[in-house]
Amino acid sequence: MRWVRSLSSGEPVEVIGGKAHGLGTLRRLGLAVPAGFVIGADACRAYLRDGRLPGGLAGEVSAAVAGLAAREVSVRSGASVSMPGMMTTVLGLPADPVEPLLDAVAEVFASWHTPRARTYRELNGIPHDLGTAVTIQAMVYGDRDPRSGTGAAFTRDPTTGAAVPFGDVLFGRRGDAVVSGREPALPLGDLAGREPRVWAGLTRAMTRVESHYRDACYLEFTYESGDLWFLQVRPGRFTGAAAVVVAADLADEGVIGRDEALLRVAPEDLRRVARIAGPADVVARGLGACPGVATGRVATSAEAAVRMAAAGPVVLVRPETSPLDLRGMAAAAGIVTARGGPASHAAVVARAMGRPAVVGAAGLVVSAGSVRAGGRAIPEGALVTIDGTSGDVALGEPAVTTELADAHVHRLLGWADEVSGGASDRPGAERLRAAHAVLRQ
Amino acid sequence: MFGTSRWSEYDFRVLTLHSLRCAGSTTLARLAEVAGRAEADVESELIDLAVAGLVTFEPGPFGGWGITPAGRAVHATWIADELAAAGTEAAVAAALDRFLPLNAELLDLCEAWQLRPDVRVLGLLGDLDRRAGAVCADLTEALPRFGRYRVRLAEALARVRAGETRYVTDDMASYHVIWFQLHEDLLLTLGIPR
Repeated sequence: MRWVRSLSSGEPVEVIGGKAHGLGTLRRLGLAVPAGFVIGADACRAYLRDGRLPGGLAGEVSAAVAGLAAREVSVRSGASVSMPGMMTTVLGLPADPVEPLLDAVAEVFASWHTPRARTYRELNGIPHDLGTAVTIQAMVYGDRDPRSGTGAAFTRDPTTGAAVPFGDVLFGRRGDAVVSGREPALPLGDLAGREPRVWAGLTRAMTRVESHYRDACYLEFTYESGDLWFLQVRPGRFTGAAAVVVAADLADEGVIGRDEALLRVAPEDLRRVARIAGPADVVARGLGACPGVATGRVATSAEAAVRMAAAGPVVLVRPETSPLDLRGMAAAAGIVTARGGPASHAAVVARAMGRPAVVGAAGLVVSAGSVRAGGRAIPEGALVTIDGTSGDVALGEPAVTTELADAHVHRLLGWADEVSGGASDRPGAERLRAAHAVLRQ
Repeated sequence: MFGTSRWSEYDFRVLTLHSLRCAGSTTLARLAEVAGRAEADVESELIDLAVAGLVTFEPGPFGGWGITPAGRAVHATWIADELAAAGTEAAVAAALDRFLPLNAELLDLCEAWQLRPDVRVLGLLGDLDRRAGAVCADLTEALPRFGRYRVRLAEALARVRAGETRYVTDDMASYHVIWFQLHEDLLLTLGIPR
């Protein structure tokens, strides 16, 4: 085999890509990964050079697919560096005959050169000649029966860094549903009551991947008729308060050294940003698109936002935004949209105006004069609070803090002063930079 | 200007209505800039439109000229008739198909710029603008009024290049806001709900 490798090959990430490398790691940790194989990035480079799949690849893929004994397969891109959402993924493709499968591989390879992917690489300093590997795996079905489902999980809370599992689950749905955010997902914890055996398997896996990566991790999983399968793993790469808390906790647990903990926190992570702190009645969760907290009365149209803003702060809640909403956004203290991601018109405008914003809160159904979230109706004028860091939308006015996990910050900066020999009466970012300068010598 | 030399007063009135529908509620000065016409002319058309109940003026800090529900209904009929009369629906639809991947790329660039204002992003914006220019040219051939976006985007980019970097995302005449209006215009023209 020249182009095709087994998932357990243990070859470097430059050859088989980050996704396959993670799957191989999961397998070595004794976790269930659907049968599959990977086509190395060298085949992509040959394709991009010659304009066709390299000779011999068809035969190798044909033999490898036959070995999977699968009716349907998934075809996923995976470069050696993360390029989320930039390239093509094909799910549920029949494994026989092989020709459509080879077409899908060529499509994934070709997606390396879409202008958007090129621009993403330019922005992130990723070389254009890397190419992507392609992972082909037997499909597992999160929508097979009522005892099936799919989810995405962090081993710790990515907003606070607290050592509790955090994420989303969709019962009876396939993996693409939860990652795309098209459907409202449930909190990950709901899995514990509904499928205790799957939950136990998931939390066991979390312990194993954390001790392997020595960091908080992100996992994608599907369970089919009660059997748990893992589809992706990567280190969590937390930022802000969560980065501080995880680094300090891991150092306290002896998982990493204090020097490494210091190097994992950036000076920007110490910036103080308002966040919901107290117990909150969270009715929806989206993605934080502009940090900060806004409390105000719900307005479901730009006109209502402008009218109501005269009497006090307003939170504009829209399905998504059009230019007709611009003045409502200007009048509002905070913005929520049911659809869209961090790179949407609403998110760009919210950041430009400096308004805390939550986008893609898929659980919200916005109609004229009211919003539904889960089974609850929130009328126009109801008081809500939004957190543009965590993406939480809560009823009422929960406690807000700009403190940044102070015990953790204090501990971490104490270590920084020990490293730099500097004084503790300087700003936090300065103390951390001084330690970094010593550690990076 | 852009193929409007034989336009009647009626055409200019609907063009003003259309500009207001794409731009959202705004000031007279901003609307004149959007339409690329003299303030006095636009104001006289707005008054005619207000008399007909199609637009309204609201005072206050977030006020301005805005389209009424009746105005939106008239506009929806007009824009459908306009496309049918031009007979260029296929060309506009093809342009939207080419616009959407560029839109995703522009939003990536805006996000990157807002998180880390780096001169490299501006170089990439210039490259994207060149490719968007080809789509705008085809659109303008299909419906001449789209030509105005090319002019406005070029003006915003020129200001950015002259160092006024708030014209990337942070001004109501920024590259992103104009692009957002172009996106809205394409969806309205083809009758596609957001």
